[in-house]
Amino acid sequence: MVGVVAVTVKLFANFREAAGVDKTVVEGAADIASLLKALVAKFGDDLRRNLFDGEKLRDTVNILLNGKSVELHEGLNTKLKDGDVVAIFPPVSGG
Amino acid sequence: MGEPKSPSRSEKAVKKDFFGLTQDQIVRYSRQLILKEVGGRGQRKLMESKVLIVGAGGLGSPAALYLAAAGVGRIGIADSDRVDLSNLQRQVIHSTKSLGMPKAESAKETIQALNPEVEVTTIEERLDSGNALKILKGWDFVIDGSDNFPTKFLINDACVLKDIPFSHAGVLRFIGMTTTVIPHRGPCYRCLIKEAPPPGAVPTCQEAGVLGTVPGVMGAIQATEAIKFLIGAGNLLVGRVLYFDALNLRFDQFELKRNPRCPSCGDKPLIRDLSQVDYGTFCRVRQNARGKG
Repeated sequence: MVGVVAVTVKLFANFREAAGVDKTVVEGAADIASLLKALVAKFGDDLRRNLFDGEKLRDTVNILLNGKSVELHEGLNTKLKDGDVVAIFPPVSGG
Repeated sequence: MGEPKSPSRSEKAVKKDFFGLTQDQIVRYSRQLILKEVGGRGQRKLMESKVLIVGAGGLGSPAALYLAAAGVGRIGIADSDRVDLSNLQRQVIHSTKSLGMPKAESAKETIQALNPEVEVTTIEERLDSGNALKILKGWDFVIDGSDNFPTKFLINDACVLKDIPFSHAGVLRFIGMTTTVIPHRGPCYRCLIKEAPPPGAVPTCQEAGVLGTVPGVMGAIQATEAIKFLIGAGNLLVGRVLYFDALNLRFDQFELKRNPRCPSCGDKPLIRDLSQVDYGTFCRVRQNARGKG
């Protein structure tokens, strides 16, 4: 299995509800964009609607890679490596 | 409500051997005094501490009540709203008799009924980029109990600029998220979320609802973090985001790292002055801001 990238994805809030799981492992995704595609393929349209508005990633999707926002890396082009942990959550501002 | 009650000279004399606590104080705080992490020294620290709560709403209510009960010496309540009937399902520091009152004043009355030893400062102003540094100045710890992105980013940026530790939290429906920020010793809120989502993209509690106990749980956690910070006990929720799912009754957490490129707390911070940020919509750093160093 040398060379296969396995990434752990933790889903929160609406993403968890749409996927029906809180955690999953995705293999073979080279970057964040392909990871999201793999997640949609795995969990279906409800998750796609929560992640994307048409082709565009929704503004309410926050993605951390190993604790760091991918916005401050290379966004959707951020590369993944074996053992990475990705957290996907929406911002909440109520008080 | 009168002036905060001071121990009489004779009470002080009797108990001067136990961190200057009066007999009443020893009884009032007995359940936490016997915790080795608190003790007389920790209680003394709490009584000499100042905590500002921004927003006397769903988060701020339980936070204020528990901090007052624990004997934090001075509590500031910053809120410009008045108590509305729709608040009472979750904002437990207010009551039916306080409808129409300024929230800061209503909170002060409840705090002083609970613990007259606490001094309460009311600030009936809405936090903005013009007054934030003045309002936040001098507090040992800040509780972000606000209910909107601009105020959350403003509290973050101002606290990072002035090195004031704070507890962030947000709630919606059955969900709560919280993290503790010790500026420059861990990540900040902008390391978690760089900018605010567009208006309307994330529903408010008014639009989508919130179970009252969710801010209750999160506000109690925020007060816990404040107390731990003030007495120097345990491990703070720094570099971790705690996520509460009330519907399935689960707590999860994920790691958060300080980002060297963070506009607020990064190695070359873009935000050196609150006027550099447009808090109107995205809480975005204005184009002409430049990193230093």
